[in-house]
Amino acid sequence: MSSLSARLLISVSVLLLLFFGATVVVLDTAFRTAGEQARRDILDGHLMQLLAAANPNDEGALSFPPDLHEERFNTIGSGLYGELRDDGGELVWRSRSALGLEIPQGGFPQLGTRVFERESLDDGTPLLTLSLAVQWEFPDGELKPYVFKVAESLDSFNAQVAEFRRQLIGWFGAIALIMLLSISVLMRGLLRPLRQIETEIGEIEEGKRASLSEKFPTELTGVARNMNLLIDNERARSDRYRHTLDNLAHSLKTPLAAMRALTEDVGSSTQLQGRFNEQIERMDEIVRYQLRKPAAASAADNLVLGPVPVAKEVERLVSGLGKVYHDKRPIIESEVAPNLTFRGDRGDFLELAGNLLDNACKWCKERVAITLESSSGPQGLTGGMRLTVDDDGPGIPEEAAEALLERGMRLDEATPGHGIGLAIVRDIAKSYGGTLTIGRSALGGAKITVDIPPAASGR
Amino acid sequence: MRLLVIEDDDTLRESLAAQLAEAGYAVEQAADGREGLYFAMEYPVDLAIIDLGLPEVSGLDIIREAREKGKTYPILILTARDRWQDKVDGLSAGADDYVVKPFHFEEVGARVHALLRRSGGWASSLMTAGPVVLDMARQEVTVDDSPVELTSFEYKIIEYLMLRAGQVISKTELTERLYDQDFERDSNVIEVFIGRLRKKLDPDNALKPIETLRGRGYRFALERSQSE
Repeated sequence: MSSLSARLLISVSVLLLLFFGATVVVLDTAFRTAGEQARRDILDGHLMQLLAAANPNDEGALSFPPDLHEERFNTIGSGLYGELRDDGGELVWRSRSALGLEIPQGGFPQLGTRVFERESLDDGTPLLTLSLAVQWEFPDGELKPYVFKVAESLDSFNAQVAEFRRQLIGWFGAIALIMLLSISVLMRGLLRPLRQIETEIGEIEEGKRASLSEKFPTELTGVARNMNLLIDNERARSDRYRHTLDNLAHSLKTPLAAMRALTEDVGSSTQLQGRFNEQIERMDEIVRYQLRKPAAASAADNLVLGPVPVAKEVERLVSGLGKVYHDKRPIIESEVAPNLTFRGDRGDFLELAGNLLDNACKWCKERVAITLESSSGPQGLTGGMRLTVDDDGPGIPEEAAEALLERGMRLDEATPGHGIGLAIVRDIAKSYGGTLTIGRSALGGAKITVDIPPAASGR
Repeated sequence: MRLLVIEDDDTLRESLAAQLAEAGYAVEQAADGREGLYFAMEYPVDLAIIDLGLPEVSGLDIIREAREKGKTYPILILTARDRWQDKVDGLSAGADDYVVKPFHFEEVGARVHALLRRSGGWASSLMTAGPVVLDMARQEVTVDDSPVELTSFEYKIIEYLMLRAGQVISKTELTERLYDQDFERDSNVIEVFIGRLRKKLDPDNALKPIETLRGRGYRFALERSQSE
């Protein structure tokens, strides 16, 4: 279980269930016990009434008036029944209400003790019964044992209990639901800053913001501050690194240029000049290749590198190359998917597109095409990019293509920098997890494709 | 042709200036960005060669400033940072071409030629106007396919006039753009050279390639055979 709010909600639900469950059981038991006690007292009262109503008759037996004071004894099927049996278990009298019913006959209880029992009628109606055995002293002094019994149907009582239980569960359920809802709303509020951090980190990855905002609760400000520090440090480190390399390249290449100018200036023997130039060339290539590193050293640089809108950069490149190849006037067609962005460093993108376009312009007869499309990666990740540069030049033979990609290897010395440009493009593509492929273009010349996969987001 | 070279490395700048001078250009040198910016704004310049990594004011800022102030002369960037970002930034700021250090002088020479030619509206390095053909790369002039012997200064004048064929060029402009030193400025000398040029190019006085516009200057009058 990974979500904090789900964890909390489940724990709270279990606790609420236990608490309310126990409460319902306790209240239900208390209500039932109290209710039953009240029933017994009432039943006792009815029994006393029967005792008072019984009168010995002329035949030396007990009899009852036809209408008892308690109306329910007189009404058929009222739910309150009374009967009188002698010590042999023979029925002496039965209330009118019990007409047609058979009240179960219990045993003969001890004289003078009240016996409460739960019994039921033939049709299953539950009854609470109270039996009392008495010695009845007749006017002639004769003592005869009798059993007085009153029974009351528990149907209405059970219905009351059930209604009580239903209400109890209903109310408690509603309360529990309201509590859970309140807690989840509360949780959303409490967890909002965490979600915001997540969103903001996502925005940093997408380049929509530079750092985390400062409006977090006290508990999180430390985290946000440290995160910002980390991002700033990483940016500064990355900038410093590239700056150092640039400065190093600059400070090495200017003396190299001066050396070359000197050898050409002094008019030394052409053989010596050639050998000097050869060495200068080698040093230059080493500086060019080794000191031009891609900005993205690993996928972890996502946080530092924002998206580069490529359309504008391609436009600038094409217009710049139009100036550089002014005399050749290649027709450069560019097709850029709308709103396409490159998730990386602007310099790296310019390196990719610049080197490929420059090579294409160098080699083409008159036509060059650059195409930029978005691509998606595995698991439906989007944000990948495919860069294709076509030309109508001589193309690159297959066996030479591999050799060309070897570091610093040149296909044709007459067009300097072709090999190094491609090697640089390959290295940059690789640093973004991408690939470089060389093929044949529909235009007739070379087709160079760079595939940059979507950045695997940490989220 | 007056070129401005802004480069902070002394050896490189002096050597480049020497070779450009040898190729027949008048060269101004600036050793830092501030001086370079001043020269770029105030001096008569036909083309500027600007290093991007300059102290005080960056090459990029000089280019921007010059273009903002309406300077239209071609600009060639020298860059040690062989990153496309720098090249594109330079070209977008208003430069016309770039050369990456370390370079061969011939490379710079060829770019300078091409840029000057382009700035005059010529598409190829052979500038042809009627029977007159000027080859910038070889610094040769032919009339009806026969070579014309010219001194280097005569060549500079005809090259300048032909590059701007159809435009009126004042004597002051010619002296400013062609002389290396101030003290040599003397408009009479120009008149003398123009006279000699006319004789060499048009001995029969039939073509009349160079017009004199009284009080205004000179104009190369022949129609361009090919241009942009």
